[in-house]
Amino acid sequence: MATQQDPATVGAAPAALPLPVLYGVFLISGFAALVYQVVWQRALFALYGVDIASTTTVVSAFMLGLGVGSWIGGVLAADSRRSALLWFAAFELGIGAFGWVSLPLIHHVGALTAGASGPATFALTFGLVVIPTSMMGATLPLLVSHAVRHLHNVGKSVGMLYFVNTLGSAAAAILTAVVLLRDYGVSHTLRIAVACNAVAGIAILAAWLVARLRGAK
Amino acid sequence: MSLRLAALIAFIGGFIALSFEILWFRVYGFTTGGTAPAFGVVLGSYLLGIALGSVATRRFCTDRVRRGDVGLLRLPAVLIASASFAGFALVPVVAWAVTRVIWPWTLPGIALFAGALGAVLPLVSHLGIAPDSHAGTRLSWLYMANIAGSTLGSLLTGFLLLDVLGVRGASEVLCLLGLGAAGLLVWVSKPLRNQAIRWGVSLLLLGVGTVAAAGALYDGVWERLQFRTHYSGERFAHVIENKSGVITVRKGGEIYGGGVYDGVFSTDLVHDKNMIIRAYALAAYHPAPKEVLMVGLSSGSWAQVVANLPGVERLTVIEINPGYVELIPLFPDAQSLLRNPKVTIVHDDGRRWLLAHPERKFDAIVMNTSWHWRAHATNLLGREFNELAKTRLNQGGTFQYNTTSSVHVERTGCEVFPFGFQLVNNVVLSNDPVAMDSARWRSVLLDMRIDGKPVFDLSVPGHTKRLAEVLAVRPPGLAPEKPNPWLRSCADVLVAHRAAQHPVVTEDNLLIEFSRPWYWTQ
Repeated sequence: MATQQDPATVGAAPAALPLPVLYGVFLISGFAALVYQVVWQRALFALYGVDIASTTTVVSAFMLGLGVGSWIGGVLAADSRRSALLWFAAFELGIGAFGWVSLPLIHHVGALTAGASGPATFALTFGLVVIPTSMMGATLPLLVSHAVRHLHNVGKSVGMLYFVNTLGSAAAAILTAVVLLRDYGVSHTLRIAVACNAVAGIAILAAWLVARLRGAK
Repeated sequence: MSLRLAALIAFIGGFIALSFEILWFRVYGFTTGGTAPAFGVVLGSYLLGIALGSVATRRFCTDRVRRGDVGLLRLPAVLIASASFAGFALVPVVAWAVTRVIWPWTLPGIALFAGALGAVLPLVSHLGIAPDSHAGTRLSWLYMANIAGSTLGSLLTGFLLLDVLGVRGASEVLCLLGLGAAGLLVWVSKPLRNQAIRWGVSLLLLGVGTVAAAGALYDGVWERLQFRTHYSGERFAHVIENKSGVITVRKGGEIYGGGVYDGVFSTDLVHDKNMIIRAYALAAYHPAPKEVLMVGLSSGSWAQVVANLPGVERLTVIEINPGYVELIPLFPDAQSLLRNPKVTIVHDDGRRWLLAHPERKFDAIVMNTSWHWRAHATNLLGREFNELAKTRLNQGGTFQYNTTSSVHVERTGCEVFPFGFQLVNNVVLSNDPVAMDSARWRSVLLDMRIDGKPVFDLSVPGHTKRLAEVLAVRPPGLAPEKPNPWLRSCADVLVAHRAAQHPVVTEDNLLIEFSRPWYWTQ
């Protein structure tokens, strides 16, 4: 049986990443996630309907994606060969990349499948959002595994990370409704979310590289 | 605490949190009239509460708190019990508050409730997960359980509880479920005999109190939520609650969908109290509308008129809320609509139905659409739907819908279609030349009967004068030399709106849904 090595000791020195940076990045990540949810749900409702069956189906597909992502995040967090932070950065960049092409993709799929009902709506919606929502769902377990190594306290790690991420989402819910969609419309609002993911991913990568270089000296 | 027990608590927390969220979206959607910004602000308040609740747990998550101490289960038990009771009480409190202040002042109540449940996940994570290299993996299980509970909560509450029990019944059930879950946690925490009795009695009293007080607390909540600061003790004649929404009917017959005026049942063109002239006008601008699609049923007045127009062979009505069909038997003059073999009523989203039936083409599509500022109004009033409707018209086919006097919506329709005109607060659009034909309309109105009763009987005093007014389509009392604001060609509409730089409504700019302040209500 292979012995498990603490990921904090693997490859680089991710432990050197200050927690406030991590919190700031996760706040931005939560902001982007909720913007996507609002924008994608709007696009999907336009295709598959705003009746209770369609809206619940679309929301459930989102939740299932998050659940799958949480499981993936848990598996990856246990992978001692790769840093949880690198996975996080990759997922943020992946969400942003999907976000960039998401509206044309949804409209294209919608043009082929519009008006589908019941299980077909669920399958189509899930198929469309499973990749980005899984990546979103994976981020919390990944960052918790990292933060616990700093704080040695699960409650504080989960509490702070959940706090900043949900705070970002709350800000997004309010700003999207009050300012962003009104002043910038759907496409530009989506680009703001893409930029947030890019900032989050690049910030973590940069911090990881700096930590690695310092560790090498 | 075992990981399995922690997962169960996370599941329960997610279930109750999302269930109440669904319920409050119903309540706030009703009291705000369903404006899009209001939904975002309510969601934001809810998430803010969860965020603050999760960070507040830091003081309890000390290193001295041992994972194996089952006595600590009483803390999530307190949180779940108090949140469930607060969730139950919040609807009557909000209903009472909006009769005195504007609705945003009630948002802290949502944040407070969510805060209690937001604390549950970090707390049970601390109690159920060791701070080692597997913490992330174990957290993922709790997070999954929380998401599963949330999903089940939204499905069960949205589909079943609200449909069968309504908001009051759903609140009671969720409160009792929460109290039961809290009792379970206390039982698992192995309390001393005295503690167990205290907990048991407290939870039982809360449960009994909830059931006993529900009737009084929820009495008149829909009236308060709808009339807000104008509430004067009026009671509705009918309230229909189902999974699709809430329909209320005042004693005078006025119908409200989701707290917003829908219309009043009347096909009486002589004493036109609901501008039913707009439905009759189909006979004026279309010579032979055999196949008609109507999106939205509401009171059934428009459907009753169109179904009885001479020449109409089939009327397909798409209505998203089946509750409206339940209303029709309440109005004697509308009842024949349900027996009319020409009429088919389909319960579906209008846009989805049209997308799903590309083979169907129509001589006329008619939509007496709700207010343009309501959430998702763009789905029916934006450029994209106009373009869709354009492809579903037969030769000479027409598309008429209510702009609710939005200059943006008027311009949008007139930009998409090459021909058309404004009719009162509707636009009538077509791919082919279209115009009102007063002579034909007069003939139709004089021959037309609904349930055997003539629309006009010129032997009755006043009917001749009224017929002339109808055919003129002018606001009562408007001086003859004044331009008629009820009939304008699309060319004139476009000149005015382009000059004023009123943009076209698209699904990208969502112009009509987000243009008002977030705290605005009708």
